[in-house]
Amino acid sequence: MTKILAVDDSTSMRQMVTFTLKGAGYDVIEAADGQEAFDKAKGDQVDLVLSDVNMPVMDGITLIKSLRGLDSYKFTPMLMLTTESAGDKKMEGKAAGATGWIVKPFNPDQLLSTIKKVLG
Amino acid sequence: MLNERASRRKDDSTPPPGKLSSPEMDLPNVLPGFEQINRYWDKRQCVFAAKILPGEFYVSKQGEMIVTVLGSCVSACIRDPIVGVGGMNHFMLPEQRENMVASRRESDESTRYGNWAMEFLINEILKLGGRRGNLEIKLFGGSRVIQGMKNLDVGSGNVDFVRDYIRQEGLKIQSEDLGGTFPRKVLYFPDTGSVKVRKLKSIANNKLLERETQYAKQIKGKPTQGEVELF
Repeated sequence: MTKILAVDDSTSMRQMVTFTLKGAGYDVIEAADGQEAFDKAKGDQVDLVLSDVNMPVMDGITLIKSLRGLDSYKFTPMLMLTTESAGDKKMEGKAAGATGWIVKPFNPDQLLSTIKKVLG
Repeated sequence: MLNERASRRKDDSTPPPGKLSSPEMDLPNVLPGFEQINRYWDKRQCVFAAKILPGEFYVSKQGEMIVTVLGSCVSACIRDPIVGVGGMNHFMLPEQRENMVASRRESDESTRYGNWAMEFLINEILKLGGRRGNLEIKLFGGSRVIQGMKNLDVGSGNVDFVRDYIRQEGLKIQSEDLGGTFPRKVLYFPDTGSVKVRKLKSIANNKLLERETQYAKQIKGKPTQGEVELF
């Protein structure tokens, strides 16, 4: 089963994302900040990372950069899901190694079709 | 150059000659993303003000007042008093489609819409340096002003949602003035956290009713989505 790591500091957001992903048959692991996500991803290989940007402890862009430094995550799709729509932040995400940028609010169908596309 | 001008404007309490009668010429700089919000000099409170309409939100880092008028809609006034940033939103949950009964909280469109309204305000505060643990939250509105299908009390649905949201996020409500039958005018001062609420008991509320009904129509069944870019 395809495993997705969903990272957001808001419980409501994580619930909405997890509900959408589980409904489409994905296995979901949740984390509330970048550090928790990094630790979980190291211990349990996931197929896709879906992360918020602004989070306490470790932000989403640092998370992506850190994961790309691991051999096991060099080619894993990593999507940012954020309220940030500013171009410079997006470029920062791209430079860190993100696969794509989804601006909140998300529509469940749109989120699922984007995930399907990047999973190939 | 721009920054220099902005800081001089903030620090210098003596207005330049000729500007005394028109302080609106000197509106403080607006944070990016809030340029469309109606801002003006409020003569009564002697402060710069931002007036938000249903579906809007506003965040400020300087001594501004945020104003709104609420009927069935709710507003969350949230600030980080340590960092000095705060703001207000104004929303209601869209009415459920008739066939969507007892759907799960996470899945219904109505709750999703409310989640976004809260998320956008809180995220903006966090983005400007605020911390979740510092957040001071005050809630207003949700009176019985407009009625939904089957005489559903729209206001009380909004009140239930916003209280649930705060609990679920592990946040605390500092104070609230929710429910009842009268619309409210809310004046929020994010720099001090103070709120002035005036119950609108006698004025004709046709305009408010019209605005809220129009907003309810506008958000009903309208899927919300941001843009997607693959690198």
